[in-house]
Amino acid sequence: MKKYAISGLLVLSLVAGGASLAGDEFEAAWQAADDKRKEAAGMQSEWRDTKKMLDKAKQAAEKGDIDTAMSLVAMAHEQAADGIVQAEREAVMWITRVPR
Amino acid sequence: MLRKYAILLAAVMALAWSSTHASPEDDRMAFEKYFTTKFPEVPLNDFQNGIYSVDPVARADWEQIEEFPPYELAVDAGEAEYNKPFANGKSYSDCFGDGAVRAQYPYWDSERREVITMELAINECRTDNGEKPLKWNKGKIAELSAYMSYISRGQAVDVKIPEDDPEALAAYERGKQFYYTKRGQLNFSCFDCHGTGAGKGVRLEKLSPALGHTTHWPVYRSKWGAVGTLHRRFGGCNRQVRAKNFKSQGQEYRELEYFLTYMSNGLELNGPGARR
Ligand code: HEC
Repeated sequence: MKKYAISGLLVLSLVAGGASLAGDEFEAAWQAADDKRKEAAGMQSEWRDTKKMLDKAKQAAEKGDIDTAMSLVAMAHEQAADGIVQAEREAVMWITRVPR
Repeated sequence: MLRKYAILLAAVMALAWSSTHASPEDDRMAFEKYFTTKFPEVPLNDFQNGIYSVDPVARADWEQIEEFPPYELAVDAGEAEYNKPFANGKSYSDCFGDGAVRAQYPYWDSERREVITMELAINECRTDNGEKPLKWNKGKIAELSAYMSYISRGQAVDVKIPEDDPEALAAYERGKQFYYTKRGQLNFSCFDCHGTGAGKGVRLEKLSPALGHTTHWPVYRSKWGAVGTLHRRFGGCNRQVRAKNFKSQGQEYRELEYFLTYMSNGLELNGPGARR
């Protein structure tokens, strides 16, 4: 009986530990994506939906749906990175469109 | 492969060189020529009518609408507001005289080192007199702007870039770069739609040419069911290519307005306008 209780506790603490580990991982990934978003904004190249994705990711994480949360963060991160690449390319290319 | 890039790079650098050496007036003449060449049947002073200059079907509807202009109520409301004294006894006329001042905006303020738009000046007139500022995009500010534009009709667009002030030119150049820069998930520049794409359709709507784009603001849009400001439109156009819009009356849109209005120098002011 005691043995079961101990292993039960062990399982519980593992699950809880796992959840908070995933939580830490989420926080870090979220922060990295939000930093990228701000970097894109600083180059006047933030996309419309990136912030929304990050807000939704927070909501999903609060509900414990880490999978959805992490995939939204990944999408937001990619958008921000694409916006930065776009701004870098456009810093050179914009001038090719000016009528002369 | 490498050679191809070298050639491309050389071409871009040559363009960059010739364009940084183009004066605003060179830019404006090339801009105007781009549209008059693209639409040889459109008289120059018809470009201020936006999409209706290039879409005969929509034009017929619009001419009917203009018989009972939907912005008329806004002009009346704006006039009443214009003449209403502030709590301190002063009024808008202490800032703007008779109010027919649209052609003076936007301008470069050499002391403040920034572009001043008419809407910005309206709110500063209020706060200088102890009144609360208005919201930027619609409502009272658009009505005041509608009235002031209405009584400024017939004046010529005449944006100045003071030659003795390199910062004014820099503000113009930033506005210009903004206009030609692709943004958002859909990767479009303003010019991709309103230059290269002008006269063509997106979904059910045709795209208006950029020449004359600023002459008729604010605009009563059926979609808005009210008059709205130019910066509201800028925000909508940024968002529809899934770019984050910038703040109304922030530095980006004021400098964009400075550039874009300069491109229409010489055209006649005909605001407020009516659009779908
Ligand atoms: C994906 C295409 C697209 C892009 C990119 C775009 N617009 Fe537009 N814009 C439209 C459409 C559609 C309308 C409504 C129909 C019309 O007048 O062209 C419009 C209308 C306007 C109008 C009102 C025209 C009038 O006569 O009242 C202005 C001003 C304008 N756009 C400015 C801009 C600016 C500045 C940018 C860049 C920040 C921009 N647009 C980017 C599609 C676009």
